[in-house]
Amino acid sequence: MAYRYTLEILAGIAIIAFCAVFLYTSATMSGAEFTGSDNVGSGLIAKLSGSPIENFQPLIWQWVPPSGEIESALFALQAAVGGILVGGVFGYWMGQKKKA
Amino acid sequence: MHIMEGFLPWQWCLVWWIIALPCVMLGIYQLKKVLASDRDALPLLGVTGGFIFILSSLKLPSVTGSCSHPTGTGLSTISFGPWITALVCAIVLLFQSLFLAHGGLSVLGANIVSMGIVGPLVGYGIYRLLRDTSVNIYITVFLVCAIADLFTYVMTSLELALAYPAETGGIASSFILFMGIFAITQIPLAIVEGVVLALVFKYIVALKPDILIRLKIFSEKQINAARSEI
Repeated sequence: MAYRYTLEILAGIAIIAFCAVFLYTSATMSGAEFTGSDNVGSGLIAKLSGSPIENFQPLIWQWVPPSGEIESALFALQAAVGGILVGGVFGYWMGQKKKA
Repeated sequence: MHIMEGFLPWQWCLVWWIIALPCVMLGIYQLKKVLASDRDALPLLGVTGGFIFILSSLKLPSVTGSCSHPTGTGLSTISFGPWITALVCAIVLLFQSLFLAHGGLSVLGANIVSMGIVGPLVGYGIYRLLRDTSVNIYITVFLVCAIADLFTYVMTSLELALAYPAETGGIASSFILFMGIFAITQIPLAIVEGVVLALVFKYIVALKPDILIRLKIFSEKQINAARSEI
């Protein structure tokens, strides 16, 4: 039976639409900085509690990556671990299937 | 979805830790049991857990002009239930609190509750509701993944609203404000996550249908139908 690509096509459309929405938003929305929603949320907390954002200090000491580069390296590391797990297992399953 | 370190009063940190810990413990217990009974469950855990690692590291732009990340918890929820998913999320969130300054040790409990427990629990409810119906299994997977993602952020909004009620309108009105930041941003991401993870599930069905049947994730009839369908 011929392989059908319905889900692949749907996923492609969803991703392309997502990119299109992003391009449209970044081109038209003024003041869109694309910072994390975590930061926007913290701003709202400061507003609701009426105390400035600097007043919120960590309750437990925390190591902060010294720069954005180091932070993105560690994020990439996290994604790489996930990628190895996913790729490794799919490869293992494909090998098993071929053998059977 | 993270609540940042220091942004939650210690009383609330304690409450969420007390809720989170037993769930993670239950996850450890269940995981031991599953792995002891079926060795083939370990690779499946690798794939479903791997996607939590990957997706929760991707911060994507959204319609509100800010960025947020998907959670990737849906596949693990369907395969292993919410408690084992809570355990995997706890590991990811611990990594992010220690090395990335995303979240933190005091707010870890609250973040586990939103990403690892409430999101997956709602998703699991949807899965149980749809599993024995004639709904296409890929639609089920899509809905579970998208809704688990979305409800993670609804829960984050609720956690913050409980700690910071607005002066006028109280918890309800600050809940709406936080939802505007977290949940609205998340809607497009949740949809894309749902579609992509449904596609991943298709590959699992194609390569390793027997483990899905043995763990009673879907019935043999549903899996066979799904293999010839899409």
